[in-house]
Parts: sequence; structure tokens; C-alpha cells
Amino acid sequence: MANLPEAGRVLTVSAGPAGGRRAAAPSRAAAFRWLALLLVVCGAISAFFPFFWMAVTSLKTAPEIQRVPLQVFPDSWTNMQNYREVFTRHPFARYLLNSVLIASTAAVSSLVVSSLAGYGFAKFRFPGRDVFFFGIIGILMVPFQSVVVPLYGWVSRLGLLDTYLGIVAPDLVSVFGIFLMRQAIEVIPNDYIDAARIDGCSELQIFFRVVLPSVKPAIATLLIIKFMWNWNELFWPLIVVNSPTMRVVTMGLISFTNMYFIEYNLLTAAAVISVLPILLLFLTLQRWVVQAVVMSGLKG
Amino acid sequence: MDRQRRAGFLFVLPAVLFFSGVFLVPLVQSVVGSFYRTRPGGASEFVGVRLYEKVLTDSTFWTSVSNTVSLLLMSVPTTVVLALAAALGLNRIGSLRWRNVWAAMFFLPFSASLVAAALIWQWIYDPVYGFLNFLLSLVGIPPQKWMQSLTQVRPSIAVVNVWVRLGFDTMIFLAALQSIPGEYWEAASIDGAGAWQRLRHITLPLLNPQIIMVCILELIFNFKIFDQVYATTQGGPASASQTVIMLLYDTAFKYFRMGDASVMAVFVFLTLLVVTLLQWRIFRKPVEY
Repeated sequence: MANLPEAGRVLTVSAGPAGGRRAAAPSRAAAFRWLALLLVVCGAISAFFPFFWMAVTSLKTAPEIQRVPLQVFPDSWTNMQNYREVFTRHPFARYLLNSVLIASTAAVSSLVVSSLAGYGFAKFRFPGRDVFFFGIIGILMVPFQSVVVPLYGWVSRLGLLDTYLGIVAPDLVSVFGIFLMRQAIEVIPNDYIDAARIDGCSELQIFFRVVLPSVKPAIATLLIIKFMWNWNELFWPLIVVNSPTMRVVTMGLISFTNMYFIEYNLLTAAAVISVLPILLLFLTLQRWVVQAVVMSGLKG
Repeated sequence: MDRQRRAGFLFVLPAVLFFSGVFLVPLVQSVVGSFYRTRPGGASEFVGVRLYEKVLTDSTFWTSVSNTVSLLLMSVPTTVVLALAAALGLNRIGSLRWRNVWAAMFFLPFSASLVAAALIWQWIYDPVYGFLNFLLSLVGIPPQKWMQSLTQVRPSIAVVNVWVRLGFDTMIFLAALQSIPGEYWEAASIDGAGAWQRLRHITLPLLNPQIIMVCILELIFNFKIFDQVYATTQGGPASASQTVIMLLYDTAFKYFRMGDASVMAVFVFLTLLVVTLLQWRIFRKPVEY
């Protein structure tokens, strides 16, 4: 959208010149604040517009979106025809179910394995610990795309093509998760753990009764970010999925496109459905999600 | 404490096994596989560096590399500069509540999948019924072909990348800005530094680590671009938007030339390895204030 670069250009200026010497006069400072606000608002609107456009398009009929001159708002705000059509044209409900299953499995499995490993790395000394830890962190440097060919070979040989296990396999654990859980568990005072040990708890009991309850924020962070990543994933599912019923939501969206003619009223309805779960997650748990995403910056 | 040593080892074992199986072994196989050619029928023969010669002298491959680089040269600087500006602007909003509301708006695009993002933009870019051409028509500019044009397709995709990533980078900058003590700016103002001087000599140097980090993250993200292209142009028109990962995908899973694909996989791995090592070198240097 044209707004985007424009808003940015002015924004940069807002942070810059006016080269006021001395502590700027109050009126000028106030003007600055208003300018900054104005530009932030413009930027935010540019960021929001495509969502708005997606939503209004999903409420229009095919003839409506082809009207000349273009008409911004739909004739009827309660036209749900496209949403119904999405589910009859393709097994979109199945795609949603597949994605829910895969993203939840990836999130939970990643949580279990990462918190176990995070605990091991944070609170135990054993030979090879640092080698393992830096080895795992080093995995961050291996782009998934460069291991995908042999991985496909393995999945195919194990007969996992076109299965849930095959789709979710590479996402069962994440380096970010291990890093996050280790950081979180490291700050638990050793006294707590030792006290439990003296009370006769087994190592696993300590893990479940002492360690996990004290890192709830990290658990939430990890679950959210993993769910989000896997819900939005395309590359690997594209490779292992053959049958239409095993498709995930991102693939489902693509099945509404073809080279010559795209029914954008249907496509945008499908896109709304696909974006909505993550959007709701974000709006209700905004603080957590932002924190999760900023922390995951590591992963890239 | 033998029990504890064993326990610690057992706790990390599942993760170690997983990463060995899913990343380490396949990475080695990728490297090994790049020296073997797969015959039709499944048998493979050792061909030395022949596949490297073949791929690295192939103009299709270099087209995809140059497309990828041109895409990231457009989107990385734009994203970083806009995100900095947005964070500085947001940081000036006094009310915490409103700042969070506006920050949330910037952040929203991050919740859309790359596929959804690219498809929404493709609709905005639609040459006949798209919103963008409608806007242009209001100021008398004739309709453009955007994603269907040889010259406009890459900038068009770059805008999608900027839109998706802007909020993420803004959040990182905003978090960093908020951890800078306000006294720094006050002291500078009292010493007579203007807004521009404060930005140049205080804010930007203090943000240096985050700026470098964000640049590297964007570089890696944009180098691996796939979803956006696959969902919309499929590399077209006339491979003007063919990217490295798109080519890797097609080579491996459309034409089943696994050897060639492995060469590309090694290329991607080494390129990003260099970028990451560069990042580490830069990060080791202490930031001078």
C-alpha cells in the first residue's frame, strides 16, 4: 500500500531534525509529540489496512468485488455466504482440525522435552553437558531448508509420508524452547531443589512438583510461540503431505488459488478463518505473545 | 553424586537424540549427498564435485541467488529503518496504555501466516480490481501490473516482507529503548543537545546491539524466503521472483534431482553460517558508548 513508505519517510523525520538547540521550547516539544503521534497512527493504520481489506472482501459477493469503480464496503455486512462456501468447496474444517492437532502436539511435545532438557542443563553437572548444550544452540545455525532432503528420505523410508507423525516430526522440539527453559529454570534457588531432595523426592518428582510450577510464565511463552509457528508453517507440510485430507490450513489457503483465476471473496474468507485463532490468541494474551516473540528473536 | 549425574544426563537425552536425528545426521547426509548423483531407479553413484560444477555454473541458480539478494536488499533496510522510526515514535507516546494499543496495531501482521499475508497483498495488488490501483487511479496514475510485472514483482513481495516483519523489529527496538535510562537524554538536553544530536549520539549508539541483531535476523529471514513466493507468483513471471529456496524445493520435490538440491542446501547452509559467524564477531566487540 502506498501509505507504508510514505508514513515511514515522515516518521524518520520526526525522530530527526528540527535540530533545536537548547532544551526545545515547550510548544515545540508539544508539537513534536503530536507529530510523532500522528505518524505512529499513520503507520499503525497502514499495518492494519490489509486486515480490514481482507475482512470486507470476505463479506462481498463475486460481482461486488469486481465492481468498477471499486466499492470499499460490502452491500451487506452479514453476508456469510463466502464462509459457508469455504467449507463446502474444500474440506476446510478438516484442514483446521489437522492444523490444531499438529500445532498442539508440537507445542506440548516441545514443552515436555525442552523443560526436561532445560532442567538438566541448568541444574546438573555431568560429563559432556556443555558440549551438548552448545551443540544444540549450534543447531540454530542450520537452516531447516538445508536438511530437508535427507529428512524427507527418512520420513519416506519410515512410511510416515502423509501422516500426522510425519508432518509434526521435525517440530517436536525447538532449540528456542530449550534455551528458554534453561534460562527460566536457572534462576530457581538450588535450596528449593535440595530441600525436596532431602525430603526424599525422586528427580522426576522434583521436576514436576518444584521446577515446573515455578516456571509458568516460560511455559506459557513456549506454548504460545510454538503453536503460532506451527499453525503458520508451510514448507515441511507441503513436502510430506500428498492426500487432500491431510492438508494443513496454510496449504488449504493455497488450494483456493490457481494460476488463472482466483475467487478472492472465498480466499479472503478462508484467510480470515486461518488468521483468526492466532489473532484472538494475540489479542487476549497480548503481553505474553509480545514477550514470547521478542524472546524468540533468537530463532530467526 | 552418581545419581545426579545420571539424572542430568537422562534429562537432556531426549533433546540430544532428537536434534542428532533431525538436524545433525541429515546435515551430514546433505553434505555427503551433494557428491552423489541419483540415477533414475534409485541407485546413486559418486560423482565428486561434478554436481557443484553443474549447479554453480547454472544460470538458473544464479538468477535465483540474485533475485533473493535483490529482494533482501529492498526489504531489510526498509524494515529496519521503519521499525526504528516506529519504535522512536511509539516511545514518545506518554500514556502507557495508548502506547500499547498502537504497538499492538504494528504487531498484528506478525500473527498472520506468510501465506495469508502474501495472498491478502496479492489481492490488494490485483491489476484489475485491486485496491492499490484504485488508490493510484484517484491521483491519475494508470493501473500497474505489480506482481505480474517483471520489474515490479520483487518490490511488491518486498513490501509484504516489510509488512509482516515490521512489528517484530519494532517490538525489539521498543523494548531496548525502554531500558535506556531517561537521564541520558535529560543530561544531553541540559548540555544543549538538540533532538537530532540526541538521536545520533545517544539513542542510536545505545541501540547498536539491537540494530545489528535485527539486521542479521532480517537477513536470515529474507534469505530463506519461500512461502510468500510459493503462495503467489510461484517464482514468476519468467522467474523474476524465483528465489533460492523456491529453486531448492522445485529441484528436490518437483524434479527429484536430490543431488542438485543437496548442493543448494549446502550453499544455503554455508551462506547463513557466514552471516551468523559475522554476527558473533560483531557481538563480541563491546559496544562503545
